[in-house]
Amino acid sequence: MTSVHNETETATPDIAPVSPRFQTLRSSVVSRMMSLPAVVIVSFIVLQSFATAEFREWTDVKGRKVSANYRGMQNGKVSLELKNGRVLPFSLNSLSKADQQWVEQASATSSETKASSNPDPKTPFEVHPKMDILLDVYCYSCHDEDKQKGDIRLDQLGTLSHRSRLELLNKMQEQLFFAEMPPRKKKSQPTDPERKQMVEWITSELDKFDASNLEDKMRYPDYGNYVDHDKLFSGKIKDSPYTPSRRWLVSPQIFHQRVADVFKLPAKGRPRSFYGVTNPFILPDHAGVRYYDHSALDGGHLLMMLTNAEWISKKQIRAGRVKNGEIKAGDFENRSDKWLPGKTPAAFEDIILKKSKPTGKEMIAAIHAQFDCVLQRQASDSELKRYLPLLESTIEIGGNTEGLRQMLISVLLESEFLYRYEFGAGSVDNHGRKKLSPREASYAIAYAVSDRGPDETLVKAAQEGKLTTKADFQREVTRLLNDKQAFFAEGAPTLSGKNLRSHKVSHPKLNRFFREFFGYANSVKVFKDTPRSGGFYSNTGRGSSGTAGRVTNEADRIVDYILKEDKNVFEQLLTTEKNFVYHPHNNEAGTKLVDGWREVYETLKDTNWREQPYEVAKKHEELVWKHLRVKPAKKNKGAKRHDATLGRYMEYFENTFGKGNTPFTALHWAHGFNFRYAEIYNLPPAAGTRGGYSDKETWDYPVVQPFKMPNRKGILTHPAWLVANSQNSATDPVHRGKWVREKLLAGRVPDVPITVDAQIPEDHHKTLRERLDSVTTKKECWKCHEHMNPLGLPFEAFDDFGRFRTEEELEHPDNLLTKGNGKNNANTYKTRPVNPRGHLKGTGNPKLDGDVKDVFDMIERLAKSERVRQSIIRHAFRYFMGRNETLADSKTLIDADDAYVSSEGSFQAVIISLLTSDSFIYRK
Amino acid sequence: MKTRRDFIKNAMLSTSALALGPNLFASAPTGKAPKRFIFIHKGNGLLPNVLIPSTFSKKEMEMEKRKEAFEADLGKHDLPEWMSSLNEHKENMTILQGLSGKMCTTGHHTWQSSLGVYKANERLSSIKWATVDFELAKLFPSPLEHIELACFPIGGGNSRGNINGIEKGFSARGPQQPNYAFGSPKVAMQELFKSVANSKDDRIKYELERKVLEFAAKSEGDIASHLAGLEQSKIQNYAESIESIRKRNTKIDGMADVIRKHVPKLDEKYFADELSTVDRQLGHTEILLSTLISGMTNVVTFTVDELGTLYNGLDDIEKEIVNLHDVGHGKPVGDFKALEVREKVRRQHMGLVDTVVKRLKAVPEDGGTMFDNTMIFYFPDNGETHHSHGTEWPFIVMAGNNCKLDISGKYIRLPKYGDEGHKTLGNWYTSVLNAYGNSVPHYGDFDTGLTQYGINQSGNIPQFLG
Repeated sequence: MTSVHNETETATPDIAPVSPRFQTLRSSVVSRMMSLPAVVIVSFIVLQSFATAEFREWTDVKGRKVSANYRGMQNGKVSLELKNGRVLPFSLNSLSKADQQWVEQASATSSETKASSNPDPKTPFEVHPKMDILLDVYCYSCHDEDKQKGDIRLDQLGTLSHRSRLELLNKMQEQLFFAEMPPRKKKSQPTDPERKQMVEWITSELDKFDASNLEDKMRYPDYGNYVDHDKLFSGKIKDSPYTPSRRWLVSPQIFHQRVADVFKLPAKGRPRSFYGVTNPFILPDHAGVRYYDHSALDGGHLLMMLTNAEWISKKQIRAGRVKNGEIKAGDFENRSDKWLPGKTPAAFEDIILKKSKPTGKEMIAAIHAQFDCVLQRQASDSELKRYLPLLESTIEIGGNTEGLRQMLISVLLESEFLYRYEFGAGSVDNHGRKKLSPREASYAIAYAVSDRGPDETLVKAAQEGKLTTKADFQREVTRLLNDKQAFFAEGAPTLSGKNLRSHKVSHPKLNRFFREFFGYANSVKVFKDTPRSGGFYSNTGRGSSGTAGRVTNEADRIVDYILKEDKNVFEQLLTTEKNFVYHPHNNEAGTKLVDGWREVYETLKDTNWREQPYEVAKKHEELVWKHLRVKPAKKNKGAKRHDATLGRYMEYFENTFGKGNTPFTALHWAHGFNFRYAEIYNLPPAAGTRGGYSDKETWDYPVVQPFKMPNRKGILTHPAWLVANSQNSATDPVHRGKWVREKLLAGRVPDVPITVDAQIPEDHHKTLRERLDSVTTKKECWKCHEHMNPLGLPFEAFDDFGRFRTEEELEHPDNLLTKGNGKNNANTYKTRPVNPRGHLKGTGNPKLDGDVKDVFDMIERLAKSERVRQSIIRHAFRYFMGRNETLADSKTLIDADDAYVSSEGSFQAVIISLLTSDSFIYRK
Repeated sequence: MKTRRDFIKNAMLSTSALALGPNLFASAPTGKAPKRFIFIHKGNGLLPNVLIPSTFSKKEMEMEKRKEAFEADLGKHDLPEWMSSLNEHKENMTILQGLSGKMCTTGHHTWQSSLGVYKANERLSSIKWATVDFELAKLFPSPLEHIELACFPIGGGNSRGNINGIEKGFSARGPQQPNYAFGSPKVAMQELFKSVANSKDDRIKYELERKVLEFAAKSEGDIASHLAGLEQSKIQNYAESIESIRKRNTKIDGMADVIRKHVPKLDEKYFADELSTVDRQLGHTEILLSTLISGMTNVVTFTVDELGTLYNGLDDIEKEIVNLHDVGHGKPVGDFKALEVREKVRRQHMGLVDTVVKRLKAVPEDGGTMFDNTMIFYFPDNGETHHSHGTEWPFIVMAGNNCKLDISGKYIRLPKYGDEGHKTLGNWYTSVLNAYGNSVPHYGDFDTGLTQYGINQSGNIPQFLG
């Protein structure tokens, strides 16, 4: 443990690695925290004020409202973080007077905190001669004394006030960086090195005053695609990749495992949740990579940790207190909370059992023990110097047990418990980079492929110095990827509930990438009007994630199936026609079950089972018991609603086998049966599931799954994705198109301007597409919508429940054809034909770009696109690195892409490539 | 006469320098008393027909039966008998009928649904945003911001094993952030009034908590001081949060005299671990009043019962353990039919409301009384009945003279579900929020089922805003 301890020591207080340029925005957040309302006495109550202080309502000059968190102000732009996590800039002048005053006050506080460390703003400002030449060549023609396009003048930078200059420089930096200026139509464009030179000069000027906000923006997921795709994969960038040294807030899943680590629970069989622990971390809802390294601990986290620490510390010492006779073994404060972690660590027990004050040695042992439980290392000398007096005084005040517990709480409140540390250690290479220390590497690898800390082998490798080379990383990553048992667990525990358990997968963390990338799990948050579906759709509710949960689980299974095959993974995910629908048994068990049922049916179908069930069952007792687990019963008619009887089975078989179909392997009369949603896949209902048996077509159930299904092609045509990207009672072509543009084509869509009231007009004679077109094809709208609508409208081939259609129902009372009861059938309405055509642009391949006849045509083309493949790899990079890629990561991305191509589409190869890249290994 | 506000002002004077940064900018002191809001919600539904005054005319009765919109002057009618304890406050009362809440979880258990207007369930991820009581608390900041008291359920969907503890409640501070509620008067007393605690154990506990916070603040502050930029902020936010709590503790210490003056003076039996449900409610009511009157908070949410709350102590059936679920299914208790038991429960609740109103009316404030600046909402957590669908969500509202909604003294029946002009729980809360300074266009989820009726669900209820 000593070496481990030393590494952490170097990592904690001595490293101040990040450029001060990041300070501005953060300090404003800090100042916000300082200003939280009034007095609080009880820690958990304080939670409220912290949490609610984050968001406030903003009003623009036109009276429009938006709820957002203030992130800072620069260049006259106020950065506001919306509730969906997006950070958007708003012009200060566009806000109401009251909001403007609010911002002024907030910025003033922020400036005060920074003023001491920045150079004097009154220092004369000079434009670097080289920069002046470049400005003269490319900019002054439109922005000088003679002409001030957009009211911008660049030839007077030196005479502007400090604040105005910073504002203008920030504007210039952004325009140049995103290649928005000079305008694209201008023939005279700076070369790449010239543009780079200009951006660097501006950045260095801004950095003098911590005034650059570009880099902060670039850290957020929304800005990931701002890095030029073609350049990234051009092979021309020879920079040596690295990741900035960092603290990386633990994810909700890692936090849970860390709590389990505190109790030193075995890796397998850990509780799904801890009664007294509220996970302080929440990932944003949006599709795409959600777990980034830019988040910081705040008051909300702290206050949850105060209550968590209280509970954890009580559990830690419970066994010791029982032993000491303070409480009885059977006594629990809360009868719902009887979970016991096992033994109290010996060092704690020594203090609890001692009748006098503990010795210094005993207290030091206890401090080390708690550091080991919580931070997986021993306390450093300096930490001991702080903790020992604390423990002495708390014991003095509260006695041995309670005094000890306060120390335990204090360690649990250490920010290190909530962060992953990645600072690098050892010698600096020629590019100024350091490798992750072996201990850091062991955590980085472990958290890349799972949510648990390093296993014994990784810990040992770190301790023995065998986690230093790329080959070391490759060895350990490959080992963990090949281990199909160590992390085997439910792929998506949050889906599990009443009547549904998420299926288990070998590496939940890896499957989660595609789950988040596609964002189909958001389906469970979309509520539908059940009667509109004719009763088959149930919403997420108490103890159940509803139909959306079920289809999401089925999408999870497709992902897992394709990942297991590990061939052409991306293409398969986009184009597979195979699906899982109702698959409660695996293929072998299901086949065996149906074979048994068939044997019963074939044997008994010509008997008098309907009139003499008891006699028939008695005569074939062994067979019936073997395959149906039914005992002969004389009173079949008196059977309870959910009882399995021979008669019920035979009737079921008659309506399935008897009609040449295979029966579904779950019994529709069983308690809790809720497989009623086959229609969401345009499949007929399983026999008996829609109001009893009838002559209506029922589903010939495929026991062996996945199975091919018509009119479905990959995840983007799966009901889970379609529901996730739908409105409550309508489809959502705009957001579906936006998803394709951003996630598959590495493209960007400008944010909706605050002044736009995005409404589709009502007209019950028109399809949604027609109504959408009537507003979005206007010139001022089309410049944004052209990036989305042509990609999203082909998905109109599916309704908002995800059912394939060629006709769109015009749901309006005036168009009502037949009235449904909402339970077994829905209203029917007049229809209009669906226009599924679209247009693909942005693959970078003229053979793929162009008009598409329908959604399947579009998806086929997307799956063939190199750009799409690389875009998914860019997202994988973000997932495993916890940050956006920069041009300097070019080599890492090209290597990962090469690994995918040369392995015939292995995602495992991509992971290995990423986790052995310089971007993963090096810090700076 | 020295009013309560004067007293608080003086007490706070010494600590005012610590207060108010940017986030309080919008609510800078105006010199007027803050508004207070008390949300009292019950389980097992609130049957709409029990709220109808028997003195309604035939025409009114028929309109009520057809659930057609109308208003009546409560002053001209007798309240239903079970509400008789509120007779003297009729001019301050509104009976509001006809709201729907199908966008909420309905049925047995509803978690944060009735306050948040969304389908909340046992998963934290179902909490979509701060509940309305927290939104109001933001408008009228106070030292403790918000307090939640609960008679926790023992059985059922959101049961609490320890009904005397501090557990996740029925309000939410923000997305995925459940609030914590005090389960017993004892634990509420210990936690809320510990700065003025008399017992040695409580004093020690308080001292230890403060010591840990002091240590943690210094510890994290030291780490932050060695860092720069983003890395610094990652720690500094945390360190300063700890420091903020410490400052708040200091401030609350500065209020000790006021708090001490208003410490609930209750018989010991209310602070016992074993107490009847009725006594628990009475004890909580005293805590509610003390925290409001002392100025510790301006918003209190009180779960008087939930479906899984076992009742004892009710009039005439003091010794019976009443299972509200069974009552919901029509099971009698002792000699009383289920509907009679329901009435006893409601009568008990009205007694609590009466206590609150009377006591607040006795506290002078700004030339009137504290009640003038208070609104009390009494409503079911799940709608109209035991197995509710949310088609109705009745409210009894008590409001003082300075209420910003034009509803007092009225029986208001809104158009029924699906009819033109129908209003939802979301419209109602939007009205309250708009009236008190939160101009949110609409609070709460929409009802997907209402779409087919072509009803505009968004916004406030204009006639309520005068």
